[in-house]
Amino acid sequence: MTLTDDELVARSIGGDAESFNELILRWERPIYALAYRVIGREEDARDVCQETFLRAFRALPGFKGEAKFSSWLYRIALNLCRDWIRRQRRAPVVQMPEGVEPTELAAERGPVESIEELVGRRQLSAVVEEAMALLPEEQRTAIILKEYHGMTFQEIADMQGCPLSTVKTRLYQGLTVLRRHLEKNGVALNRVEGVASSKVAGQITPRLVRR
Amino acid sequence: MMTETYTCGDHGALVSYLYDECTPAERRAIAAHLVICGACAEELIALGGTREQLASWTPPDAQLGFQVGPEHSKSNILRPARWWRQPMPAWAQAAAAVVIFATGMMMGAVRSVMQPADRPSQGPAVARSNTSSPVNTSAAAPITRADLVALEQRLRSEMSQPHASNQNVAASPADARILERVRVMIDESEQRQRRELALRSAELVRDFDAQRNVDLARIERTLGQIDGTTGVEVAQQRQMLNYLMRVSQRGQ
Repeated sequence: MTLTDDELVARSIGGDAESFNELILRWERPIYALAYRVIGREEDARDVCQETFLRAFRALPGFKGEAKFSSWLYRIALNLCRDWIRRQRRAPVVQMPEGVEPTELAAERGPVESIEELVGRRQLSAVVEEAMALLPEEQRTAIILKEYHGMTFQEIADMQGCPLSTVKTRLYQGLTVLRRHLEKNGVALNRVEGVASSKVAGQITPRLVRR
Repeated sequence: MMTETYTCGDHGALVSYLYDECTPAERRAIAAHLVICGACAEELIALGGTREQLASWTPPDAQLGFQVGPEHSKSNILRPARWWRQPMPAWAQAAAAVVIFATGMMMGAVRSVMQPADRPSQGPAVARSNTSSPVNTSAAAPITRADLVALEQRLRSEMSQPHASNQNVAASPADARILERVRVMIDESEQRQRRELALRSAELVRDFDAQRNVDLARIERTLGQIDGTTGVEVAQQRQMLNYLMRVSQRGQ
């Protein structure tokens, strides 16, 4: 039987360390991914991830269950990321991938993905990462929470402590900057040629404009 | 609160539409506007394309495996499981269990071999008793009751001889102490081996369960991601289809 987060939290508060370890198991990957995308450094993201769970464990008796456990974790992680960024006092250093290892490619490659496609995906990932690093922290965080963690506008607003309209503005501005950066790097052009939806868009627009 | 009429350039509303977080009335209003406004439609498609490209960004795979210790009161240290604490592969655990078990068996076998050697006088004594059997020497003479009684006494005395010989051995107190210590050490070693085997077996079962839980969680998460990605793609395809339908309707 799979226990819910709330049940595991209750058991953890009761002193069952294994239940908390189960919660860690469930949430460490998303929290690490969040931290990595916000601060852009693998090692520091791991530290933030670890510190998030440590703080959560210590503060567990005070957790009243008013928010979801995951939201609570995200909030702790984001605060830690914010602290990290403040400490750095500069834009996050993005670790660019150093070349493409054939062995990694072979291990990573899916059954229907060619090496060329995989290389393209890795390069695209690097460009996206680079573009994300250009965004102000608030915009980057809003996009990360929306795109990679599926939060609603309201949840992001609660998380960032700002009005809902601000979240939308951050998302719009962030996506616009990303779009420009990707187009500048030729990514959008490639995607338009390769993706059916974008290709369709290229055909629709002139007709709409003419009207 | 957005009205049912969409104002061109309302980026917030456009983002709501993009992420499908608006009411049906708002959606209709924006959709109606997109049909007549090429700039907004183009922008929406571009933003959708940007979202699509964001999906390619994946964080590097990191070794996590954080755990809290079982003893809350001591330190509550949350630390990544080190390599020697991380669950071993099942084959390695099985091999380790076999090695430990075999070692225990060997120790037991060695002990059982050593035990007769502890009593060196016993073998020869028995051999002597066989060679000096009165049955052989008195084969020609008739066996009397007195002979049988004498034989019984003799056998009894010989059977008690090992104890005597042991006592003789023990007469050297240093040797006896060493022998006793060796026995105690062997006993302790066996107990330790048994304990370790039991412990290892328990760990094996626990680690196996933990690993299975991790694998299940990963599979579940991966499936969730695949579902999410597919969902986004389906939504975008649907969006494109809507555009196409609207355009074709207007064209007619």
